[in-house]
Amino acid sequence: MSEAVEIPSGTLTVTRPIGVQFSWRKAIPWLLTGPLLLFMLAFYAVPVVAMLLRSVNDPTWTLAHFHALASDTVFFKVFSNTLYTAFTVTIGALLFGYPLALALVRTPRWAPVILIMILLPFWTSVLVRSYAWMVLMGRHGLINEALLALGTIERPFRILNTPLATQIAMIHILLPYMVLPIANALRQIDPSLPRASSGLGATPWGTFRQITLPLSMSGVAAGMLLVFVLALGFYITPAMLGGPREITLSMLIDLQVDQLNWAYAATLSAVLLATTLAIIGVFYRLPGVSNAFRMGAR
Amino acid sequence: MRRFPSSKHFSRRTAMGLIGAGLAAPYVRPSYAQGAWPEQTSIPDILKGSGELRIATFGGTMQETQVKAYFEPFEKISGIKVRYFPGTSAPKVKAMVETGNVEWDVAQLSRGSIMNLQKQGEYFEKIDYSLIDDGVGKEFRFEYGIEMLVWAQVLAYRTDAFKGAVPKGWADFWDTAKFPGDRALLGTTGGGWPELEFALMAAGVPADKIYPIDIDKAFASYDKIKKSVVKWWDTGAIPIQLLTDREVSMTSVWNGRMAALQAAGVPADISWGQGLSKRDAWGIPKGAKNAANAMKFVAYSTMAIPQARVAWGIPYGSVNIKSNEFIPEARQAVLPSAPAIKSQLVNYDYDWWIENREAVIGRFNKWLLG
Repeated sequence: MSEAVEIPSGTLTVTRPIGVQFSWRKAIPWLLTGPLLLFMLAFYAVPVVAMLLRSVNDPTWTLAHFHALASDTVFFKVFSNTLYTAFTVTIGALLFGYPLALALVRTPRWAPVILIMILLPFWTSVLVRSYAWMVLMGRHGLINEALLALGTIERPFRILNTPLATQIAMIHILLPYMVLPIANALRQIDPSLPRASSGLGATPWGTFRQITLPLSMSGVAAGMLLVFVLALGFYITPAMLGGPREITLSMLIDLQVDQLNWAYAATLSAVLLATTLAIIGVFYRLPGVSNAFRMGAR
Repeated sequence: MRRFPSSKHFSRRTAMGLIGAGLAAPYVRPSYAQGAWPEQTSIPDILKGSGELRIATFGGTMQETQVKAYFEPFEKISGIKVRYFPGTSAPKVKAMVETGNVEWDVAQLSRGSIMNLQKQGEYFEKIDYSLIDDGVGKEFRFEYGIEMLVWAQVLAYRTDAFKGAVPKGWADFWDTAKFPGDRALLGTTGGGWPELEFALMAAGVPADKIYPIDIDKAFASYDKIKKSVVKWWDTGAIPIQLLTDREVSMTSVWNGRMAALQAAGVPADISWGQGLSKRDAWGIPKGAKNAANAMKFVAYSTMAIPQARVAWGIPYGSVNIKSNEFIPEARQAVLPSAPAIKSQLVNYDYDWWIENREAVIGRFNKWLLG
């Protein structure tokens, strides 16, 4: 079975198979991704679903665990604290990350240095970095000692073991996830656009505000999404650097696992997963965000 | 510790081992090196065998000591190959038994976590006490496990913080006017069980009247120290770091960790009075493939000499009364099982905690965040 396609000029005829025949061309993407899909199904999807089922099927089909959650004041405090931390960290990472991404794209000479600066800590263990932060932020740490020596402060102030310490460290850890998508978006801006803008008399600030910034928003949104979602799951950093009342949702889940309340742990996990998916869903609807995850240059 | 901070389980003493690797590295190893360790030269034939045995431990310097104290000697003398893994935890035993994939033959846990899990069903084998050495005291024996390590949760302080004054017990810990500085206590994250006993003793409850714990009274006492507690710690490395960096002047600690700190020259000491005497225990997961070998090992490791060898390596005590003759007197001065120290400690009541843990932790979190 074949179909002749008439090209308007009438000089060329192409034949192409149709119907349900096996098509290598169509199969190739599946063959390439198939092993990973199977892997993900077996080692990710199945265990996650099995775990989530516990929230409604332990010991029998029930919504009791979700009812319990609704009246659990500890959960609400921990959840709002976790969201708040993720939010402040996202904003912090954006404020530090955008200028850095701009510098990365605009100053090719310094780009390797900046990239190393971002990525070196990224390759260092979170645990090692947390100890490094302790050395810096301690009551008798480098920051306090330096400020004391300079006479800026009279007595050491507390940074370590406060929510601020957690936020500083988390911003540092998550910065690459903000910088790289923004840099990618900036790189994809057609260079003739800013040139045209300044050629038409716009000031550098005007060009940035009207051309660069709007065109990089997809990267901003992607970076914020990545940072926010990752920040929701933090455990070690708040545990080591945070204040006495800092309990994150991950810690609460861990606590329930340890107490053998697996159904409740699964319920908490379901809420965390649903929150994450909801946030991803909302962000994906923002214009250009899905583009930002595309690889490659312009 | 983990590839990324979002996913991997961070249990109390897995972390202790792994964090310890980082923290303790620059420190002098706190082992007691003078003289040769006592050797167990023969064992009853009934403890010999073949095949292998898989033991789950808490890792870190504790595991290093265990390797030298009884893993390697047992392998040599019994003919049973010993393999060991850090990362023991009761939830993992639960998962292994429920999925029928029991990867450990022996797990180092506590009586509390073993009995807590056993409440939910059959998760552990019964101990065959006909094999166990007579020297193991009755207080260390229970149906589904046997205690094998005595340690203490005690008050530790910076000796340079109070102009020579020495805090004695929890009333002093609570007294921030007389003993200025911030505090740290054990919290609930990472599987910690709050130190209600300390709160009660701070409120003047005598050591022998602590159990059953008056929970309301304990939290009323906690209220008074809450503002001074800068950290509710969750792994053993944290209080040590807080003391070292002068973040706190006093904290509760696990006694074994203090040796490393003192060996590093940090001016800090233990105040043993009103400490809690706690124990680790061996449990044999239900359906363990080498359960017979596990029983033999459990029997061997609680004999006098293997128990004494542990105390040579790390300042934790023995459950075998006959061990003391194999431990030099100087070493006994830092062991929670030594008579002079043991008499100052309060025996931790795991049975009370098994019944009340969940309620206490729920209340603690509410209290902390409220």
